[in-house]
Amino acid sequence: MSRFLRTAASDSSSSSESESDDDDEDDDDEGSGSDEDVKRVVKSARDKRLDEMEATGKTMDNALKINDWIAISNEFDKLTRMVQRQQNMSEPVPPFYIRTLSSLEASLNAALAKEKEAKKKMNATNARALTAMKQKVKKTAKEYEKEIKLFQEDPEAFEREFAAAAAPEPVARPARKAPREGAEDGVTGDADDDFTTVGRGGRAVQYTAEGIFKNLQAIQEARGKKNTDRADQIRILESLLEVAVTPYQRIRVLLALVSSRFDYNSSVASYMPIELWSSAQREIDLLIATLTADPLYSVQEVTEDYDDLLERTPEEEKDGVVRIRGSIISFVDRLDDEFTRSLQHIDPHGTEYVDRLKDEKGLYCTICRAEALYEKKQLSEPLARVIMRRLEHIYSKPDAVLNALESAASASNVAPALALSSHPSPSSLIHALCVHLYQSGNTVLRTRAMLSHIYHHALHNDFHTARDMLLMSHLQETIHSADVATQILYNRSVVQLGLCAFRCGLIKEAQATLQDIFTTQRVKELLAQGVHQQRFQTLTPEQEKAEKQRQLPFHMHINTELLEAAFLVSSMLVEIPMLASIDSEEQKRKTISKPFRRLLDFADRQVFTGPPESTRDHIMQASKALQNGQWEQCRDLVQDIKIWSLMPEAAAVKEMLAKRIQEEGLRTYLFTFAPHYKTLSLSLLSRTFSLSPRAVNSIVSRMIWTEELPASLDQSAGVIVFHRVELTRPQQLAQTLAEKVAALVEQNEKALDFRLGGTTGWGDRADGAKGEKRGEQTQERRGRGERRGGATRGARGGRGARFSQGLGSQMARTR
Amino acid sequence: MAEYDLTKTIIPYLDRHFAFPLLAHLVEISLFPIEQVSAAQYELAKGTNMVDYAQNLYEQLNPDSEIPEEFAAKREKAVSTNEQLQQEAQAVLDVIENPDVAQALRQDKNQNLTYLKDNYGLTLEQITALYNFGQFQYTYGNYSGAADYLYHFRVLSTDTDLNTSAHWGKLASDILTGKWDVALEELNTLRESIDARAASTPLLPTSSHVESLSALHSRTWLIHWSLFVYFNHPAGRTLLLETFLAPAYLNTIQSASPWILRYLAVAAILSRKAQQAPPTSGRVRHAIREIVKIVQLEEYQYSDPITRFLKELYVEFDFEAAQRELQIAERVVADDFFLSEFREEFLDNARYLISEAYCRIHQRIDIADLSERLNLSRDDGEKWIVNLIRDTRMGADAKIDLEKNVIEINRPALPIYQSVIEKTRGLSIRTQALGAAMVRAGTQQPQVVEAAR
Repeated sequence: MSRFLRTAASDSSSSSESESDDDDEDDDDEGSGSDEDVKRVVKSARDKRLDEMEATGKTMDNALKINDWIAISNEFDKLTRMVQRQQNMSEPVPPFYIRTLSSLEASLNAALAKEKEAKKKMNATNARALTAMKQKVKKTAKEYEKEIKLFQEDPEAFEREFAAAAAPEPVARPARKAPREGAEDGVTGDADDDFTTVGRGGRAVQYTAEGIFKNLQAIQEARGKKNTDRADQIRILESLLEVAVTPYQRIRVLLALVSSRFDYNSSVASYMPIELWSSAQREIDLLIATLTADPLYSVQEVTEDYDDLLERTPEEEKDGVVRIRGSIISFVDRLDDEFTRSLQHIDPHGTEYVDRLKDEKGLYCTICRAEALYEKKQLSEPLARVIMRRLEHIYSKPDAVLNALESAASASNVAPALALSSHPSPSSLIHALCVHLYQSGNTVLRTRAMLSHIYHHALHNDFHTARDMLLMSHLQETIHSADVATQILYNRSVVQLGLCAFRCGLIKEAQATLQDIFTTQRVKELLAQGVHQQRFQTLTPEQEKAEKQRQLPFHMHINTELLEAAFLVSSMLVEIPMLASIDSEEQKRKTISKPFRRLLDFADRQVFTGPPESTRDHIMQASKALQNGQWEQCRDLVQDIKIWSLMPEAAAVKEMLAKRIQEEGLRTYLFTFAPHYKTLSLSLLSRTFSLSPRAVNSIVSRMIWTEELPASLDQSAGVIVFHRVELTRPQQLAQTLAEKVAALVEQNEKALDFRLGGTTGWGDRADGAKGEKRGEQTQERRGRGERRGGATRGARGGRGARFSQGLGSQMARTR
Repeated sequence: MAEYDLTKTIIPYLDRHFAFPLLAHLVEISLFPIEQVSAAQYELAKGTNMVDYAQNLYEQLNPDSEIPEEFAAKREKAVSTNEQLQQEAQAVLDVIENPDVAQALRQDKNQNLTYLKDNYGLTLEQITALYNFGQFQYTYGNYSGAADYLYHFRVLSTDTDLNTSAHWGKLASDILTGKWDVALEELNTLRESIDARAASTPLLPTSSHVESLSALHSRTWLIHWSLFVYFNHPAGRTLLLETFLAPAYLNTIQSASPWILRYLAVAAILSRKAQQAPPTSGRVRHAIREIVKIVQLEEYQYSDPITRFLKELYVEFDFEAAQRELQIAERVVADDFFLSEFREEFLDNARYLISEAYCRIHQRIDIADLSERLNLSRDDGEKWIVNLIRDTRMGADAKIDLEKNVIEINRPALPIYQSVIEKTRGLSIRTQALGAAMVRAGTQQPQVVEAAR
């Protein structure tokens, strides 16, 4: 390719940058340079430019012969540009250009004259080019008026003058190029292990060990400027890395190289090319390996000032350690972020995504290496950060994946203190990592570690531990002020906790946990798994961009459909019996799960219902079946939902659901049909719902005990005897009023509790007063309203209160 | 039954000296091999200054071998230390026991100190000698002496840390000497001081890690130590419920020592009878309900036959299972160091609970069946049930039909006005409490702000 461009340079509009790129790799050039001395090499670069100009001039001549003014115009523009550049480098205007200019003027006049004579010969575009050319030449000629006059007087003398001016030129070059020159000077010293490269603008640049620092400085100065060529810089640094001799040089070059790799892609919207990413990863590995191998060098974010251009060795330093400015942790962070970003952009359903995902192993190893490095150096702050990175890679993974990552890390001889090999199970590894973070001083990291830990426990069906940790951490009070990423993590943990409760068969807990997130109707957005369509306001592009950046890569997603199924099914199991137990219109407004209720009402209004298709359809029809006491149909409908297959231990979960449906079916049946019976045989119930007589007995007894069901058992006859009292309207209203007043007082108390911010003192008194209220009210005479409150909040509230005592975040140590 | 034995769980939270009675109890019930227990006793005694006791135990363990020399040396050392410490302490004691001094002492400790210093040349170091001597006496088992010295020390000293330590020491001595009234008093003051310390430190999540942790530790200790008092003092069970059901202590039990739930459950069951007697606070009255909730919540952490009994009875309503658990629970209670004296009472009350629940759910009950549920013979069962009906307020509702051998329970539905009354009862009092709290909050807040400055 370079060969092609070189020969055809005259008719391509290649810029100086691409030229120098080509020359960099050009063997010919190197070959020709190697048997000449340095001066010649420099000169040849200038000559080449002249050659180019001449080639352009020749093309123009050719075009002139066939009267192609478009080509001439183009070529002339190019020529002018070249000359301009020549002048920018403070070289004199070559006589060739002046000559061309004057001859062009002459032929232009001739052509114009000819044009007037034979008008038909030229087409419109050509004619336009001709006139444009005339203007251009006139303008340029004015610029170089003096030179042209000199030239026309005596062409010979003019050319001689130019040659004389050019001879001392290399010495007189501006100071800006000093580093490059230094590099060139070095060649005379040891020409063996160097190679010649032609730098920008055709100048040959050689990289040597001595010149590294100057080169580095030049690159650092160019960094971030508008028209620096990043690819070129990376190449220069790569070659610098090859010649770097001492560890100090190598570290310095690596630091610069990695950062320029990360610079390569400046736009936020796209991700780093994968090859660049992998080489960056390799180089970070190399850097870490260098630092690990040689403890006398250390890379720190804050160091004393030192001269960038000097070589430093441990012996010369005061305490025998060379400290270099730089930050490995930020490299690791960036590497990880870029990985995530690439996953965000790749289509998750293609093979590319899977291929990319395979890189995680390498990344994980790098992170572990960095961890080992910081452990060795005993830097607690970056160590905590790097451990957090590590934790983020493994906390949401099932054990098998975690094992694979860990074995990859141990296979590549990375030895952080915390590794799977030293822990009996993945969970204990996570525990160890988290405990390390709990002890670190950083609150954000502590919070995130806590949430990851909770997520991990929930993932492993360890509901109680996860719940205790969540409540003890008091995170729900402060999470609103946390950063968005942490909030997302919090949402994820809570949702996972809800799913965990569902898998464990703790339906009420699952419902209560998932409730909050589902009432917002923005599940996807809250979990950062999709952007929510705003109905009433449009997002600004910045907001949208920020939103997009927050999205989790696909493999971390929690399946929202499964989540919804779990939520709706648990809502069904809680809500339907409650719905059945309500008999007056006023009470009907009480709902536990609004989203479920909405769907149910909607389904009720449907005139015609077809066979269920979506998950929601299934659940709605199942709910109706449950309402009608057809538990078998309900069970079949729920079990038919396809999405369960995504849940681990799906069979067990289905079985659990079937059992729940039986029980709740029985309860619903009793609530719904109790008014129509005077007595009901227990054995019949047991047969209808295929429950053991003991289970039926237990359920019925509980309902009687909690006064959900106004009935009692007749043991000898084996029946339930209902004592139903029909309430008159005023009685009902009186009851509702009483309940509302009680609720009001309770609200007031809560509000005061909140304002006083504690349960001490005042809480005790309130408790005593409440006892008063219950007065002679014996245990058996509890109101219905109270029951309802207790049912939903009981499980959480009881425990929640205990955690308000400030034992929070201690548990890691006390357990 | 060994799996339900809590001795091993509890001992880490007790003082070394408390372990002796526990181990002695284990010897009595012979749940574990006697050699092992006495070996444990010896190991314990070795660490104390009770040289003679350790020597005895050693002889028991190794009847054939010689008594090692170290005992004699240790004994000598203990005696000499004792004398030395006693001399030091005696100086202070002489001063204090002077009736003039006793009269001159006031409430203000600093003033007392200067007074003693000016008039009798007593320094703080000398007073500390009291503490040291008291502690030493404790280590060789002279608990009443230790209690005396520590008491005097506490009156005089201003050192907070040593004072707390002396407090614990005094409590331990009182418990070990069996002075339950004094111990109870001591326990209450100690509890107050712990609570005050915990309350004074703000509950900020950042600053108070160490403080809240230490509060948790001292509460855990207090809970375990107080078991001695509460299960020996006549009014102890009610007090236990009062204390342990307070939010702070409930939290401690739930997060640090769930096994205490056994004692909590037993105390709740035992206190059932007390309900009908003098009015107690609301907390005690609803103890069972509360405890059932906690038992359910903590089931994943801790369960034993006693908590399972409550769960089967009040959560599952499985009377057969409850009956089964009760049988095991009875044995567990009999074997437990703290509970063994309450076996009969426990069984009695548990039966009451079963029959109460049973009667509430059923309309017609076969006496034979109920007797079986209660694990009683038929005649006993009948007598029991008659007593039950007479004792409880079911009198009007329940009738025994001897011919069919059933009890008929006729429970008329609660009139609606009554339920409305019940719902609104106490609302005005609660509102008044609200108002009072608001007033208090208004006055307190400025002070808090000032303190913060």
